[in-house]
Amino acid sequence: MSRKLALTFATVCAALAAGVPGALARGSADPGITPTSILLGGTAPLSGSASAFSSVARGAEAYFKYVNARGGVHGRKIEYRYLDDAYNPAQTVQATRQLVESDKVFAIFNSVGTEHNQAIRDYLNQLQVPQLFPATGSTSFGRDYAKYPWTTAGFQPSYQAEGWVYGKYLARTKARAKVAVIFQNDDYGKDLLAGLKKGLQRSSAKIVAAEPYEVTASDVQSQIATLKASGADTLMIFATPRFAIQSFVFVNKLGWKPLIVNNIVSSASSIMTLASEGGTNKAVVGALSGVYLKDPTDPKWADDPGVKLYRQVLKTYAPGANWKDVYHGYGMSVAYTMVEVLKAAGKNPTRASVMAQTAKLSIASNPFLLPGILVKTSATERFAIEQAQLERWENGKWVAFGALWGYRAG
Amino acid sequence: MGRPTSRTVSLGALFLAGCAVVYALPAFISSFRAQQFAYVGIYLIALIGLNILTGYTGQISLGHGAFMAIGGYTTGILISDQGLQIAGHTFSNDVKDLWTIPIAAVVAGAAGFLFGLPALRLSGLYLALATFAVAVSAPAVFKKFETFTGGGTGINLFGIKGLTGSISGVHVFGHKLDFYDWLYYLSWTIALVLLAAAWLLLRGRIGRAFRAVRDSETAAASSGVSLATYKTLAFAVSAAYAGVAGALYAIANTYVNPDTFPITLSIFLLVGVVVGGLGTLSGLVVGAVLVQFLPLWSQEISKSPGAPAVVYGVILIAIMLALPGGVAGLLRRVLPLARRLYTRPR
Repeated sequence: MSRKLALTFATVCAALAAGVPGALARGSADPGITPTSILLGGTAPLSGSASAFSSVARGAEAYFKYVNARGGVHGRKIEYRYLDDAYNPAQTVQATRQLVESDKVFAIFNSVGTEHNQAIRDYLNQLQVPQLFPATGSTSFGRDYAKYPWTTAGFQPSYQAEGWVYGKYLARTKARAKVAVIFQNDDYGKDLLAGLKKGLQRSSAKIVAAEPYEVTASDVQSQIATLKASGADTLMIFATPRFAIQSFVFVNKLGWKPLIVNNIVSSASSIMTLASEGGTNKAVVGALSGVYLKDPTDPKWADDPGVKLYRQVLKTYAPGANWKDVYHGYGMSVAYTMVEVLKAAGKNPTRASVMAQTAKLSIASNPFLLPGILVKTSATERFAIEQAQLERWENGKWVAFGALWGYRAG
Repeated sequence: MGRPTSRTVSLGALFLAGCAVVYALPAFISSFRAQQFAYVGIYLIALIGLNILTGYTGQISLGHGAFMAIGGYTTGILISDQGLQIAGHTFSNDVKDLWTIPIAAVVAGAAGFLFGLPALRLSGLYLALATFAVAVSAPAVFKKFETFTGGGTGINLFGIKGLTGSISGVHVFGHKLDFYDWLYYLSWTIALVLLAAAWLLLRGRIGRAFRAVRDSETAAASSGVSLATYKTLAFAVSAAYAGVAGALYAIANTYVNPDTFPITLSIFLLVGVVVGGLGTLSGLVVGAVLVQFLPLWSQEISKSPGAPAVVYGVILIAIMLALPGGVAGLLRRVLPLARRLYTRPR
């Protein structure tokens, strides 16, 4: 390298250094909204190990396109820009900063994951950017609304509500149940367990054993053996799919025949089919779980307008997407709710007026949720969905039974 | 060393010019871009460290994300309220983040040294596997010690007193800096200092010994270079760099949890070093830019299921086919050409 070249370099740089720092001026109107459009942003794992959840964003996107094709909301097209975070909270933080500060979104909507939403919650609240319907069932989002006024509850039924439903059902139908619980040792598993305990209160059914496992464990064989030894006749599986399948397998191997209740996170038909080991595992037969979305693969809904709409929207606006993937249905149900919120917020919504609407939801018409489920919030009660139906695994598929169970926190 | 050669002088001038570019850049870009380039600086630090180990000493590491995690958690635990007690002092929000950066370097460096001892017995593919195992198991270990690390939920650093930067701005030497500009200047100042330090380390006796170990262990040993000493030293220095990068990463994200240091981070770092050029420092900036921006660019091209990963892979393969020696290899080929063109009129 010659000195001359280096000198030229240095001169150019000195010239650059004399530049004036640019300051960005902020207008008074909320960003991300024009008379013809409103921009929502969010993150989802489009790559990496959790990329199955990307359908949550794609389903919502398809539904917004469907609404836009019919004129949008109050003449505004909903633009939904979601970025990949590879299910890594560090990337959620960066992508969210990009959406808020570079793309200037009106609100963050439907970002996927508990930790991922926790990582951006303080930031969004400090900047007063709405964090709408995070895709998680963690109780903290619906509970801490006073501390985080710009964050709504997750759109999934909270894990506590789900656990409560199981507890109430057992208390009513199996009053002498001796209940064993295997749960993941984190907020998700503990929330479910806390809900179960609430549901079992004042009943003679008792939790006789509860065994935690770590997310990092290789298997749960020893936990299942311990639970069997407790003499329980009912087993609650509060575990993610891999460990839920293992639980079914080990229960069968040990010749244990309890009533099994499997949580919603692990109750997709595909997972139950795996757990049944080609029909040889009888432990899955008669297992119970909860349900709040219409399962598009259930023949019962073949002529249902909601499921028909679901399939049509997916076919037109997300060609190639797998309609059997119920996460698309989740995405559409939350997008439907978002559209209703924007309708209610009036012709000139602001971030504040949208947040105000999310605190007084009362939507009974969501076509993607089970009939009768009311998406309802109030000033002091922010959990959006607190109802679920129970279903039983019979002849290789889920059969829903009984009425909806409703839970009210507090 | 005798008198500074003309090469040393022009390298110094080039370095200063580079510094000028780095410090002038925020004036021309939005603060959001400055934030993205702050991450480039952070990755640059990790890449320099990894190149000391892999490029100069010939020891492959697929586990540098784990050393970054150690640095990140050191900072996170020290500045937040995790109930850590050392010698009767309970750490609760009373430590400034800047002071934790050298501590993170020491802790990660010690971990690197300790890992370097058993790694002495391994080489090539087996070492790659062992370091890979470190990266795979690190998240599990951090989840295990829940009281200190916050388990899977991690540690949220946003708005903590010990954090110098905040959304409302930072006062440095009487100037008010935007949060992201602050992150930018912080990470690049440290990166440039550490780049100069690496250059000084590698041009002298130690660097020569590193390269001797890489080129032929037998020859190095017979020339009196202690393999054990220099390999573990390389591991320690390299991990210390990663620890600094991890500490800055935690400060920039204002969040640490096990998933912020996934196995893919370790792989991206190795990719960055290879693209930048093994055994050189000049191309690493490009490697760092790639680590930060390639995932973003690839999802700009297509968002259909699985597509970003494919685009990412194709771009990497194209780069490796076009530039087998990395960016530094390209520079080595292009610069003499440019110099000839430049000096011809004389």
